[in-house]
Amino acid sequence: MNIKFPKSYRTIAISLAAIGILALALSGTFTTISRWVTKPLTAVQTWVSNQYFGVETFLTASQDIQEVRQQNTELEAENARMQAQIVELQQQLVEFKILSALLEFARANPEHQYLGASVIGRDPSPFLNYIIINRGSDDGLRRGMPVVTQNGLAGRVVQVTASGARVSLITDPATRINVRIEPSRSAGVLSGTITGDITLEQIPQDADVQPGNLILTSGLGGTYPSNIIVGQVTSVRSRENALFQSASVQPVTDFTDLSIVLVITNFEPVDLSPLLPESPTP
Amino acid sequence: MSVLFSIPILGLVAVLQSAVVSRLPLNSGTADLMLVLLVSIALQKGVRETWQWSIVGGLLTDSISGLPFGIFTFSYLLATGLAVALRERIWQFSFLMQLLVVLVGTVVSHGLAYLVTFFEGANLVFASVLQVITLPSIILNFMLSVPIFILTRDVLEYFIPQENNA
Repeated sequence: MNIKFPKSYRTIAISLAAIGILALALSGTFTTISRWVTKPLTAVQTWVSNQYFGVETFLTASQDIQEVRQQNTELEAENARMQAQIVELQQQLVEFKILSALLEFARANPEHQYLGASVIGRDPSPFLNYIIINRGSDDGLRRGMPVVTQNGLAGRVVQVTASGARVSLITDPATRINVRIEPSRSAGVLSGTITGDITLEQIPQDADVQPGNLILTSGLGGTYPSNIIVGQVTSVRSRENALFQSASVQPVTDFTDLSIVLVITNFEPVDLSPLLPESPTP
Repeated sequence: MSVLFSIPILGLVAVLQSAVVSRLPLNSGTADLMLVLLVSIALQKGVRETWQWSIVGGLLTDSISGLPFGIFTFSYLLATGLAVALRERIWQFSFLMQLLVVLVGTVVSHGLAYLVTFFEGANLVFASVLQVITLPSIILNFMLSVPIFILTRDVLEYFIPQENNA
């Protein structure tokens, strides 16, 4: 049996049902139900979406990867260039600092004329504390010229070629330098050792020498100009029955890291050989 | 290997010795790159111009050193002589021979340098020299011997068959 409602009743019933459903939805009754429904839907949609992006990436990636690789190569090359530039600039900065210090030293000691030189090597024999510099007789260098750094005395030229020279450092075991100890103004003789340290010998017993005293060249003997700083006394050895005192000296120049030096070109070493007594002929 | 090659190659070694190796001391001792290389060459089988290479290497090192001329040449020739003598008898143990010859070469070279500088008036105490210069130098030379020996062997193995075939 079919019950037929008038059309207007059906419309009213549908409207009332819709309003009821809407009211229930607004009151939050459907929240749990909608969560049950939407959760698996969201999961499925996420999976489908990911697969879609995966396929899209796969289809377009070859071109992108090539571009990225190309960019990466360019950036790596750029990075290498920048790093090389940084190293070069750092090296220039170090050289600039050394040159500034050398210039300052030259200004503070205007009585001498200087010629800058780069240290290009060391003697192959460990028995000689010699350095090789890139200036020679073509630049006006001569044997016996003193060599200094921004801190003080380094050595003297012992052999000259046209474009290079060999410099004996003050730490060389064969070096002997007449020095003066400040402030007592006592005399002494400085000599190098194989360990690279320098020692002060032949200090008179009555001389007041203390750690921290400055050592300067005295100019005696004519091999070095006077008043160039050599080092600082670190310890003094004095024995009652000895003729002289001796002392250890810390050189002001760091000889392990010597890169640029100044040669004093207007100093003439005095040749004392004519004054030395001749050996009697048989 | 032609002796003509020795001049640029050993010239480069002499420059490296002065500019780099001598700036890397252990205590006060330094490695002798030229000695190690010449001994490595002398110990390789089939090398004929060993003596000429030693003379060139010695003269080059003497020319850049402040020591009296001839000390390095004499030392290198002596080391080469020892290497050649050993090579002809017990060459199978050539790497151990390398260490032995380098040891003898270093001791001879340092002994001569010590005598010369001592008589020139240098402030040298024998025990200190041994402790501060010679022993560290021997250690450095031993350390250098390993790569130099392998490198020399590989390079000479590459070149010598070509010479023999020529």
